Amino acid sequence: MSASASPANLVTYQAHYAGAVSRFAAYAIDITLGTGLFSLALAAISYGVHVVTGHQVSWNQSNILVAIMYFAWLGVYFAYSWAVSGRTFGMAVLGIRVVKADGTTLPPSRAVVRTLAFPLSFLLFGLGFLGILVGREHRALHDVIAGSAVIYAWDARAARLRFLARQAELTAEGLPPAPDPIQITPTP
Amino acid sequence: MTDPAETLAQQVTERVVDLLVSALDVNELAARVDLNALLGRIDLNAAVLNQVNVNALLDRVDMNALLDRVDVNALLDHVDVNALLDHVDVNALLGRADVDSLLGRLDVNALLGRVDVNDLVRRMDMDALVQDTDLGAVMARSTGGVASDVLDAARSQAVGLDQFVDRWVRRILRRKQPGPAAPPALLPAPPAVTPAQAAP
Repeated sequence: MSASASPANLVTYQAHYAGAVSRFAAYAIDITLGTGLFSLALAAISYGVHVVTGHQVSWNQSNILVAIMYFAWLGVYFAYSWAVSGRTFGMAVLGIRVVKADGTTLPPSRAVVRTLAFPLSFLLFGLGFLGILVGREHRALHDVIAGSAVIYAWDARAARLRFLARQAELTAEGLPPAPDPIQITPTP
Repeated sequence: MTDPAETLAQQVTERVVDLLVSALDVNELAARVDLNALLGRIDLNAAVLNQVNVNALLDRVDMNALLDRVDVNALLDHVDVNALLDHVDVNALLGRADVDSLLGRLDVNALLGRVDVNDLVRRMDMDALVQDTDLGAVMARSTGGVASDVLDAARSQAVGLDQFVDRWVRRILRRKQPGPAAPPALLPAPPAVTPAQAAP
């Protein structure tokens, strides 16, 4: 998976098209966070209603209203994140960002289009995501519709320097150096 | 009224001088003259140079026209610069230089404006710099912490897995050439071609 980490081979992956693993990991984090926040909000509403009115409110997950609220919330979460900074929380963790297909900043209107087209990738039996895996530019169906692409927005070189700095500190303290996790070479 | 005898004497003298000059071999005479001895007897300072107004002479010289007629390159071709430099005592020269005054005349901002810092940084072996100096310890104390370590590790692992998956997909699809690395606007600009490189 990784090769030697000679300084000459070390590259910054900033601005390269992000691959499937990074994108799905970011998506998993976002769905987990979004669902968690939604559940918290429902619990807070139930508690508030109980305190104010004394009635117990229970949220049935199969309730169509709850489902609509859930997907609306996810839509707002993704659209707002992409429009404001080009990245959701999960994407920030994985160091990836949404940009226009040509690499320039994604305008808010395209962020909204991307959000609206996002469910289409699911509705076609998940085939909309196939482009991330096999496409040369790793673009999903909603990327094609919105004219967007996802790129790495973290600097591997800076990360490696941080690692080397820690190594230098460990060596200075007489401790054994840790294995190098930042061993990245360009794809042949 | 002129004395006829004197007139006759003058005519005779002129005739004799004419005959003498005709019979004289000037080249032979010049060959016999010891010019060095002659020049040694002449006080050039008193006789010539004191009479010459050098400033007035130089004012009459068109220096630009003079320089236009000088082939400086040909002149320099004749100069053995190494031999010339061997005669220069650089230490003595530097001892006479007022470095502070020199630096005071330098426009450091203009100088730095001409430096391609990005290119400079690209040429630096940052790994060696961090490992061989105390810079690493300084950076470790000043940047991030456990969280940034975890993020760096997670991201690098994800990129590694991305590459792994991408390699297998290309192998399965028998794709020879990889796709573009990045969107067009984010691809690094090709290095500029210098005139020397462009020349055949």
